[in-house]
Amino acid sequence: MKNLVRALRIEKGLAQGELAEAMGVSRQTINSIENERYTPSLPLALALARYFGTSVEEMFDDQG
Amino acid sequence: MTRVNCGRRGSVSRWLMPAGCVLFGCVLLLAGWLGHQLVTGLIGLVIMACFGLFVALAGRSETVRGLRGDGRDERFAQIDLRATAATGLVLIVAVIVAFLVEIARGHDGSPYTWLGALAGIAYVAAVAFLRWRG
Repeated sequence: MKNLVRALRIEKGLAQGELAEAMGVSRQTINSIENERYTPSLPLALALARYFGTSVEEMFDDQG
Repeated sequence: MTRVNCGRRGSVSRWLMPAGCVLFGCVLLLAGWLGHQLVTGLIGLVIMACFGLFVALAGRSETVRGLRGDGRDERFAQIDLRATAATGLVLIVAVIVAFLVEIARGHDGSPYTWLGALAGIAYVAAVAFLRWRG
């Protein structure tokens, strides 16, 4: 699923590992989300959106 | 910094799988000893202990950590689920093929008849239970 995770992470100056640590998932999971290979669960999507101060709808695009 | 935990299991399980491997190896040894096949049992124990040691001491690769249990998260849980389903499918196909071969050879299909029936019943029961649980 298309998403803004990479853009928001870079904007915040975070490494994948740092974001993974904050979310309680592996670095590979963040990498898979950014590369649209893995669609996160609702709790993780909500956590990511909260972390970046945005909404799930803005962060993830299921139409793309 | 906000820290959430999305399905990651703690490091308590790091030694669980290696210990389980050694335990299963001991069970193999016991079964071999009971069946007067001590060498077979010993080989089983050595293989299981080596695998357990490898999993315990191997590096930080995601696959190894996932197998070991530490560093698992929701994505690995999904991978685990799919891998388990694929394994089950392979086993069921193997049982069906073995059953057909046994029938074609003029045998009664044992023990594959019961294994196939068990797989079918287990699948239907799991579907019913999971549907009931919502």
